Parts: sequence; C-alpha cells; structure tokens
Amino acid sequence: MAAREAAGRVVRQVRPILSLDAGEARKRVLNLYKAWYRQIPYVVLDYDIPKTIEECRAKLREEFDKNRHVKDIRVIDMLVIKGQMELKETVQIWKQKGHVMSYFKETQEPKPTDFLSKFFAGHD
Amino acid sequence: MAAVAAYMRNSLVRSASIFRRTFCNAVVVGSQHTTLHIHQDGFISRSVLLTPQHLPKQNASQIRWFAEAKLSVDQIRERVLKVCTAFDKVTADKVLCILFLFSISLFQRLVTSKRYFSSKPPLSLESIRDRVLLVLKLYDKVEPTKLTVDSHFINDLGLDSLDHVEVIMAMEDEFGFEIPDGDAEKLLRPADIVRYIADKEDIYE
Repeated sequence: MAAREAAGRVVRQVRPILSLDAGEARKRVLNLYKAWYRQIPYVVLDYDIPKTIEECRAKLREEFDKNRHVKDIRVIDMLVIKGQMELKETVQIWKQKGHVMSYFKETQEPKPTDFLSKFFAGHD
Repeated sequence: MAAVAAYMRNSLVRSASIFRRTFCNAVVVGSQHTTLHIHQDGFISRSVLLTPQHLPKQNASQIRWFAEAKLSVDQIRERVLKVCTAFDKVTADKVLCILFLFSISLFQRLVTSKRYFSSKPPLSLESIRDRVLLVLKLYDKVEPTKLTVDSHFINDLGLDSLDHVEVIMAMEDEFGFEIPDGDAEKLLRPADIVRYIADKEDIYE
C-alpha cells in the first residue's frame, strides 16, 4: 500500500514528443486555437456549412474543453498534432462537407437511461 | 478651375519641380523607400529609382516621402497659396478668392480623403483606451459593468486562457498588427494592452 503510493509519486524520465515542459505545450495549444479560430470564417465559406461562425466557434471551444483535464505533456502534444493534422486537411480542402459537419454530430447514440427510452430501444 | 484643382493635387503630392516638368498627367500613388511607381493614365508606367543624391541639392529637402506624410492644415494652406500664385492665369487679387473657395471644401477633402498607404490615422492614448474598452465591451463573455481599465481578465472578469487568446486576437484585428505570444501572455489587463500598443505605435503623452 505504501509502496504503491511511493511508486505513484516517482517521476519517470521519458522522451518528449514535441514539448519539453508545460509552458511550451501550453503555447502550442494556444497557437492551435488561434489558427483554428482565424480559419473558421473561411471554413464556413469554403464548405458552405449550414452553421454560423458563432456556432462553429462554440464547437471549437467545446472540442478544446473536452481535453481540458489532460495534464500529461506527451498526451497534450499528441492531441495538438492531431489538431494540426485536422487543420491542415480543412485548410487544403482535402475534407468534404460531411467530414466538417461530423464535428457537430455525435457518432454514438447515448445509452438510454430512463424507462421509456429503454422500452423504445428494446429490452436486452 | 478643374485644371487648377488637378494641378494643385499633383503638386501637393510631390512638390519638387522636376515632377512638374516631366509627369504632368501622372498621379503618384505610392512609394517605398527609393522607388516611385508612377500611375499614368491608368497604367503603372515606370518605376523611377530616386535617391537623395540623384536630386539637385536644393530640391532634396522638398521631397516628401509617403511614410512621413502627416500634413497640417497650415502647411497645406501655404503650399496651396504658393501653387496658386505660381499659376500664371491667376493674378494676386484672385488668390484670396481662390483661397476662400477652396479652403473649406478642399482642405478637409485633401486632409481626410487621401489615404497615404504607409501611414495610419493619428492615435492618442485616450483614443487607444476608448477603442480597447469598446472592443472588450462588445465581447459577450465580459460584463460591461465589471469592466474597468485595471480589471484583470482572469481574476476579476472570470475569463479563461482561451478567452484571453480571443481578446488578444480581437486587439490584433482592431489595431492592425500582430502581437507575438511572448508579449501576449503578459497582457492581462486593459491598461497593459493600452501601454503595449502605445509603445508599439510610439505614442508618448
């Protein structure tokens, strides 16, 4: 029990992906946010999306808030890299309208919780 | 009358005598450092390389480069009078009439309607402060009642770091220049932003 706690407190030296410390990772995140924020009006125009710029910006904020709790620097770097890849594909119009609109739709239906939803979904 | 107006317009832009001789129909639209792009009859015809040593010594001081083009009304008035008296169809007693006719309309039009491409409208500390506060009031996550010049974005106004990034981006769009990240993370109050912009635009009061 005490050994497990001690093991949890040990800091491991691992090879960084991009950032060496939390400040650098924070800068990468904020730059990614800035780049997406500036690109959103052009996304709405290029892909002719039925959403307003404010809705898209709210969705951008929501996506960033989903990962707000992450503290591990390498995980943050990986998420930033994935965000940059998405931005590149969106800027170069390698995506289509469906790919951009899929940000707005959850792919998994939430599991039914109350009785009536479970009834309509079918008893299993 | 139209000829006088056109003549004055051309001469006010470049008052050196060499231009009067050679580019009578040309309107000078822009200059960067030492090359001059002359807009002549709808086409950019030639690009003349001018440095101070190419000009005769007494005309070198008369050349006004666009980057310093902040004319005051008195300077405009004296230059207009000089050109009017030099124009041979105008005698001395008609100069005053011309002054009266052109003074109100032309001075304001000449001062405000011409856009000098490398200079910005004059800023003062108060105008910067007003613009910064206006932009912040328009931002919907900020309550206008709580907003003062010294209110901290994160502690007092309850914004988070992504909101702070959005605010800095709004300031960049408002004042037309990029704010690098290292500076942006230190700008946590409207007073800091005002001071930073005043430093960048060289406004001391």
